[in-house]
Amino acid sequence: MNTKELIEKIKNIVRGHSLYMLHYCTGCGAIELPPTMTSRFDMERLGIAPMATPRQADILLITGYLSKKTLRRVIYTYEQMQSPKWVVGFGSCTINGGIYYDSYSTINRLDLYLPVDLYIAGCMPRPEAIINGFKKLISMIEKGDAKGWEHYIENKKWYKKNQKKALGNSLYTTR
Amino acid sequence: MNQNEIIKKIENEFNIDKKDIKKIDSKQFKAFIKNSQIIDFLTYLKNIGFWQLSLITAVDWVDDNKFEIVYNLVSWELEQNILVKTDISRKNPKITSVINIWPAAKYYEWDVNEYFGIDFIGNPNNGKELFLENWDGPPPMRKDFDPLKYSKNKFPEKDYKNFKMKKQSEVIE
Repeated sequence: MNTKELIEKIKNIVRGHSLYMLHYCTGCGAIELPPTMTSRFDMERLGIAPMATPRQADILLITGYLSKKTLRRVIYTYEQMQSPKWVVGFGSCTINGGIYYDSYSTINRLDLYLPVDLYIAGCMPRPEAIINGFKKLISMIEKGDAKGWEHYIENKKWYKKNQKKALGNSLYTTR
Repeated sequence: MNQNEIIKKIENEFNIDKKDIKKIDSKQFKAFIKNSQIIDFLTYLKNIGFWQLSLITAVDWVDDNKFEIVYNLVSWELEQNILVKTDISRKNPKITSVINIWPAAKYYEWDVNEYFGIDFIGNPNNGKELFLENWDGPPPMRKDFDPLKYSKNKFPEKDYKNFKMKKQSEVIE
């Protein structure tokens, strides 16, 4: 093991212990977050705290379905975040569309457009499931398995192609 | 003035058939009107107290081959709601805009125009986008639009061919 790898390993352990989460609350999943954050389930004992802006956040938590309009804003948000960064898909809507599988305006799979490190299944997942998911994410970060942000940089062409297919040419136009 | 008196007044003053006005409950009633008379009728209703337009929407009767436009008017003085309904053809859906009677109708009509493809003659926003960004299909609220087909084509689903459900003992650590 050379020095660089060693430093990277130490960095990963440190990263796992201070995580700031940006929660993008589009769907109904937002209702499960206040009890997770506050005194009943208390997410902060794991070292995860909510953050208000994307530039300082490490985790992007996407709670619920994404329509074409919100997907565009989520992509902007994700690209503003500084690496290393992780995406957590929350609820069954981000996995396969959930109950909105036949909607004309909501996307079905999140991992076509953003690199998702961890899914929390359920409709809706209880705070226990969220805590369990975060514990898993922390162990993945410490081991160095959660490499979604590197995957996004390496496969940018593939992601951009999928994003353009869903959103048309509006990806970088403001309105 | 109670509801029966209001209905009688409208029947007498506007010359409308008795069977075209129907009660819904003690606070609501509905009126069917020909699509050429709609502007006159709405102007008349505004003058007798139904001055608030709370909604314009459309219903797609695909089997009867027609659209039904519904104007929902409220009177706070008379404490009554009225639904004014009119039919237009489905082949060439056009109706006069009420933007000159209620300026707020601009957004309701814009919405109906985007989701049903109905032209409101006189509304400057026909054909512009309001909610749907870069829409490339037929108007989505029409009954002959198939959202599942559109969704499958545009937003690919997960492939479950090689998916295997975990046993409960594997899930719980």
